[in-house]
Amino acid sequence: MKHLIPEFERLKTRLPPGHDATLMVPCLHRIQEDRGYIADSDIDDVADYLGVPRIQVEEVLSFYGMLRRAPIGRWHLQICRNVSCSMRGAERLIDHLIERLGVQPGQTTPDGRFTLSTVECLGCCGTAPVLMVNTTYHEKLDIAQVDALIEGLD
Amino acid sequence: MPVIFINGEAVDTGEHKTVLQVALANGFYVPHFCWHPELSVPGNCRVCVVEQDGWVGIACNMPVRDGMKVETDSEMVRAQRKTTLQFILLNHPVDCGICDKAGECTLQDYHYEYNGESARSREPKLTSTKFYPLSERIVLDNERCILCTRCVRFTREISKSNVLGIEYRGDQSIIRPVENRTLDDDPYSDNVIDLCPVGALLSRDFLYQSRVWYLEPTATICPGCSRGCTVQAWHRKPEWQLKTQGARQNEGILRVTPLENPRVNGPWICNKGRDLAALLERPRADQPLMKGTVVAMSVALEAARRLIRDSARRVALVSTWASNEELRAFKGVLGETFTAFVKPDHLPVDGEVVEDELLIRADKNPNTRAAESLFGTAPINLPDDTDLVLVWGEGVDFAMLPRGAKILFLGAWLAPENGHADVFLPLSIQTERRGHYTNFDGVVSAFEPWQHRPEGAIDAETLFPLLAAPAGSDA
Amino acid sequence: MDGHKVLMNFNVTARSHSLKAYRKRGGYRGLEKALASMQPEEVTQTIVDSGLQGRGGAAFPAGRKWQGIDPHDGQPHYLIANADEGEPGTFKDRWVLEFSPHTLIESMVISCYALAVRHCFVYIRGEYDLPLRRLEEAVEEAYAAGYLGENIQGSGFSCDLFVFRGAGAYVCGEASSLLGSIEGTRAYPRNRPPRMTVKGLYQCPTVVNNVETLSTIAWIINNGAEAFRAIGTPKSPGTRLISISGHIERPGVYEIELGYSWARFLHEDCGGVLHGRALKAVIPGGISSQVLTGKDAKVLTAGEVEGLTLDHEKLKSAGSSLGSGGMIVIAEGTCMVRLLHIMQRFYHHESCGQCTPCREGTGWMHRILDRILAGKGHPEDIERLQFIAEANDGTTICGLGDAAGYAVTAMVANFRDEFEYFIEHGRSKFGGNLECL
Repeated sequence: MKHLIPEFERLKTRLPPGHDATLMVPCLHRIQEDRGYIADSDIDDVADYLGVPRIQVEEVLSFYGMLRRAPIGRWHLQICRNVSCSMRGAERLIDHLIERLGVQPGQTTPDGRFTLSTVECLGCCGTAPVLMVNTTYHEKLDIAQVDALIEGLD
Repeated sequence: MPVIFINGEAVDTGEHKTVLQVALANGFYVPHFCWHPELSVPGNCRVCVVEQDGWVGIACNMPVRDGMKVETDSEMVRAQRKTTLQFILLNHPVDCGICDKAGECTLQDYHYEYNGESARSREPKLTSTKFYPLSERIVLDNERCILCTRCVRFTREISKSNVLGIEYRGDQSIIRPVENRTLDDDPYSDNVIDLCPVGALLSRDFLYQSRVWYLEPTATICPGCSRGCTVQAWHRKPEWQLKTQGARQNEGILRVTPLENPRVNGPWICNKGRDLAALLERPRADQPLMKGTVVAMSVALEAARRLIRDSARRVALVSTWASNEELRAFKGVLGETFTAFVKPDHLPVDGEVVEDELLIRADKNPNTRAAESLFGTAPINLPDDTDLVLVWGEGVDFAMLPRGAKILFLGAWLAPENGHADVFLPLSIQTERRGHYTNFDGVVSAFEPWQHRPEGAIDAETLFPLLAAPAGSDA
Repeated sequence: MDGHKVLMNFNVTARSHSLKAYRKRGGYRGLEKALASMQPEEVTQTIVDSGLQGRGGAAFPAGRKWQGIDPHDGQPHYLIANADEGEPGTFKDRWVLEFSPHTLIESMVISCYALAVRHCFVYIRGEYDLPLRRLEEAVEEAYAAGYLGENIQGSGFSCDLFVFRGAGAYVCGEASSLLGSIEGTRAYPRNRPPRMTVKGLYQCPTVVNNVETLSTIAWIINNGAEAFRAIGTPKSPGTRLISISGHIERPGVYEIELGYSWARFLHEDCGGVLHGRALKAVIPGGISSQVLTGKDAKVLTAGEVEGLTLDHEKLKSAGSSLGSGGMIVIAEGTCMVRLLHIMQRFYHHESCGQCTPCREGTGWMHRILDRILAGKGHPEDIERLQFIAEANDGTTICGLGDAAGYAVTAMVANFRDEFEYFIEHGRSKFGGNLECL
């Protein structure tokens, strides 16, 4: 994580001084973006860098749904299962994905390409159902479009 | 100072800022789990509710306002407390039959007092880790845990070891230690056992040793350092002693808890104090010896008197584990006879915390202050022509004593030195007599006896006048 | 749709979010006006006079919240825009962030000037990637143009804005929980007292406002409190963004003048229920709201909806709320038991776990509904659900517990027959259907 420190230092220019722990979530996001997940050594490094006890970093990590401590597939398929999406067909899409990929939500395909997750409301209710692939929203999907989307991912 | 009304009674709030503090300080009991006077206020258990102006709210975070009217036991309060207890018990395993906390469990007590209903739930209780080893000393049962977070706050705010935390969210939340350490790192870890209101944090030493209602505590003072924390030593009640074991075991210390003391240790003690049995219940010397040979007490006493009569330069190395009374007795009858130096019976051992900002002091003896006030602070200096050394208590390497000096050794425990002394007299320890220690700060505390002195041992207070009598007198 | 527009008063194009396009439509004039000719207290007074209510869920008067801060007390103050928009059914703040982030930025700088804030934050939910990039781009444009940073427009007033990205926790939408997140700890909501305007971020006076609430500030300063009051109703001045979804022909984000006819909004502007079906129910303002006081979004039947207007007091008297502005339309033939199950699954997953009633209660309600859906319900389950809901009403540290309870209470009150059917027959009255095909 040390190579990211110059970036973190720059973030401080817009923050009030004396509250280094504010960089906790920003640092963890950036580390995960860089490495794909947050490693044990990163936890120590972040604790040292922010001057907080290691337990605090561990607590924060386990609290947030988007942060992970192990690598996942190249394409993270996150499909919303909340109210509006379910009312516009999300459940059928989820079933289709389970069948097509051969994995349950929370699992990764054996070839390491796809990890399937069901998630809560993504704020796309008006263009439901929605599938978030890594950071990109794909909205108003039906089964054919999902299939085309998956075929287009390497 | 604002005045508030609790259940109709006017109460001066004094220094207290919240309704809960005022209520408890004035004899109005408000049940609570997560609040503790020494820790920050999390307000998460929701049990300490009181009624104020038709609203029910938690008292631990309710600021006092002059003239406010509070009810601690109204219909609304009772109903809400009952419901909250239902929720606390929702996933709490009914382990009482096998849980060490039974008999002193806040949840048991509150359920009995404030709920008393059977569960409304038909769902199977959530399961979680049981017997999670937090350290060599403490075991954690996550199913019993009600997530009051007292233990976590203790390690953040008091001991500052920062070992414990909460992982995950919702009803999957779980107390866990940081991954690269255990609570063994925290010399105050065992306080979380007292703090835990349920049987989630238990002492591994004490696990399954006894039901607490067979035990009673006796107040004593930890001799581990000059802080002199007051503690409760727990042992079997006389009427519950077991026929299958001897007196020594029946009277033995089963566990130690703090005896709250605002002037000395507050509500905490360090782990060394928990291990008093290890400190005090080592094998005892109970027979007088002369150069290793067992003799009758009368013979040993007479020999000791002759040693004193026949010597010219007499030095005494005074015990810092002796009580105020014993020290005064020595000063009274033998103070002129001996040149006395105060000696530390114990020094810090490898791996032991020497001193910190909380309780632990570098001086590992309970009564140095009283000894020094009577015998001065001069460093030990044995003149070459010393011909009699009275060694009182542990911590003296006989090889450092002048070659030609005779040794009169007074001690409580079995040790190789006992056999090297010209005369050895076995002493009682603090659990066997009444007395006082003066801590480093000048605070005098009392200890009470409950253990019987071994047959052959003698109280130092009784011994000194006998030693001071001239040789040849009847003793 | 007729009616005034405060926020959606331009055509969305590929670059309408840029500084150039924003300035072209009058952007940053409000900030210039405030800095050049108003005292901080005047700005606050204008907001008070405008009657602007919070648009995050609680409808608390924004001006009154601001008055909790004394600009001259010498302490650091903080302003945080709550862009955590996680309330299911709600996606209207996203519209502002994607299509007019400068509206938010300008409004925030004006607000910081009023509240003597030197450092402000936008707390944006971690999943909102495009909105985040648009916002960050806009922030850099604003810095470059001198609308953020030191000595803004030569006024002597300086202000820094930090975009703080969340990491996937609905509870962070609760204002005090946000603080924990920014402070680098577990994002636990906090008990009050102390109020956040007394001790908030880093234990300093803090104002947390919803994105839409803040974005309205620029218009109000530009056009005046009177002009704002002339729109909407006397008790609910101005406009609101409504994000509508579910079984509706034209879902999306609309701006309505408060007091607008609900029936007209549903059946004309949004095209009516999907495929011309009959209306069964409407969730007006997100499946819950982030408030601590007042009744939260409740499910309303078709009969209740007709004849209502979209404003805060009308909905309150109907026992509901405009809440977060996340409207969900439900057509006939939808299984409400399954819908409630989805909601409780959500609350259970998102409960932070701090306080007893919510931690245990959300899990309990979810598991009861699991069991009912599996065909193993018992008649006492309905009472049990209501018991748990009541036990969470006003007893928790934050509104998540209350909201989970209100969802249950409303669904059971309005659709009890469906629950009884499911329990008695072990299956849904509507075949478990959630869609409108």
